[in-house]
Amino acid sequence: MKICIDSDLCAGHARCWETAPDLLVDDEDGRGVVRAPGADIPPELEAQARKAASVCPEGAVVLSN
Amino acid sequence: MSYSERAPVDEERRRLLHERAACPREHFAALRAQGPTTPLLENDTITCLLGRRDVEDALKNWQDFTSDFGGVMGSEEPLIPLNVDPPLHAKYRRLLDPYFGPRRMKALQPAVEKHTNDLIDAFIDRGGCDFSQEVAVPLPCSTFLSLFGLPLEQRDALVRWKDIMIRPDVVAEDPSQAQQLQLETAMEIYGRFTEEMADRRANPRDDLITYLTQAEVEGQKLTDSEIVRICFLQLSAGLDTVTISLECIFAFLAGHDDARGMLVEEPGSEVDLIEELLRWETPVQAVGRQATRDITLRDGTVIPKGTDVNLMLASANVDPDGLAGADEVDVRRGEMRNFAFGGGPHRCLGSNLARMELRTVVRVWHERIPEYSLQPGTDVEWNSSLLRGVDHLRLAWPAGATS
Repeated sequence: MKICIDSDLCAGHARCWETAPDLLVDDEDGRGVVRAPGADIPPELEAQARKAASVCPEGAVVLSN
Repeated sequence: MSYSERAPVDEERRRLLHERAACPREHFAALRAQGPTTPLLENDTITCLLGRRDVEDALKNWQDFTSDFGGVMGSEEPLIPLNVDPPLHAKYRRLLDPYFGPRRMKALQPAVEKHTNDLIDAFIDRGGCDFSQEVAVPLPCSTFLSLFGLPLEQRDALVRWKDIMIRPDVVAEDPSQAQQLQLETAMEIYGRFTEEMADRRANPRDDLITYLTQAEVEGQKLTDSEIVRICFLQLSAGLDTVTISLECIFAFLAGHDDARGMLVEEPGSEVDLIEELLRWETPVQAVGRQATRDITLRDGTVIPKGTDVNLMLASANVDPDGLAGADEVDVRRGEMRNFAFGGGPHRCLGSNLARMELRTVVRVWHERIPEYSLQPGTDVEWNSSLLRGVDHLRLAWPAGATS
């Protein structure tokens, strides 16, 4: 599983990086940034990734295989 | 006399206004069952959008649902960035988002914690308080003064200013003078902010006004008019919204021992709980837009061009269509996605500030006053406003059980 943030959809709710601190970090505006872009998510962090995707009101946190 | 007593509404409308505030979940579920839109109770020329999917679509679609329809809340000029659409909107947000970002709010947090403790100090030994008037109203005003670099002694004046701007008909002794009072006060505030700008240009400090006087958008400094319209928005949108959010959260907690116990026993649990309660209570029930063309909703309903539209966040947030379980509250479920702060490009600029204030008050309060309930003989009486709050939330606690 991989995680990325669609910057066209992101509105800076600041929910994803608070929910998935091991995968995402905040920028100055409070938008989420992927810590390791393109990297496979370790199995133990997949739940965090799913949670981050589920709390984003914009659907901007995108998970892929 | 309160606004609801003075407003010219018939019995049925009055009943529905009360129901919308006291039982919003049931109220909106019944409306959604009848269709995707309903006229606003206060003004039936305004169409309310009710469903989760339609509201989500509209929040993102600023082209069809514009925010650029003139000034609101006593301002004749468009407030910035509320009543400005992209692409200009993005320029203002690039300037303002970092100032209201979580990092900056973290730096402001100690001041808010101090304000919270100072407010609690004033009544803790009394064994009770009017939470609305003694915490929920003054706390965001103190925070505003800290953010703007203004002295705390001006808090009472600030409370009066914002009340006149938002609810002139309640403050004015003679209702026919309400508009005049609002206009005069707007001029007074304009003059005051202009003085403060001149002072900050001469004596820069670490505050929002200094930041705005120094900031540039595409190489251009902001004009005095732009800065005042930014400050006006803070006054109109940054105070009562936090007040009612605190009132909604504490009204819920006073009636839910399980949630209160969790906050006391599990420090840190306030983060998810506040998200769940912001969703469930949705204190800011609606945000305004205007249709720029004939818009067809998902079920085929057409909203004619030019229609004023309220996006009913309070309905969308608890609509299970597209989010199973959204029609129930669960204090232990963790965060569920919500639009308590709107969404799309106009996502509330102050959401990080509000969250910081709410988290700080909830945490500090439960550290110091873990046991409390509604004062015996009092009820939670919801106001009937789209800013859904409780004007007097009276809480009581046992003497000696505080710190």
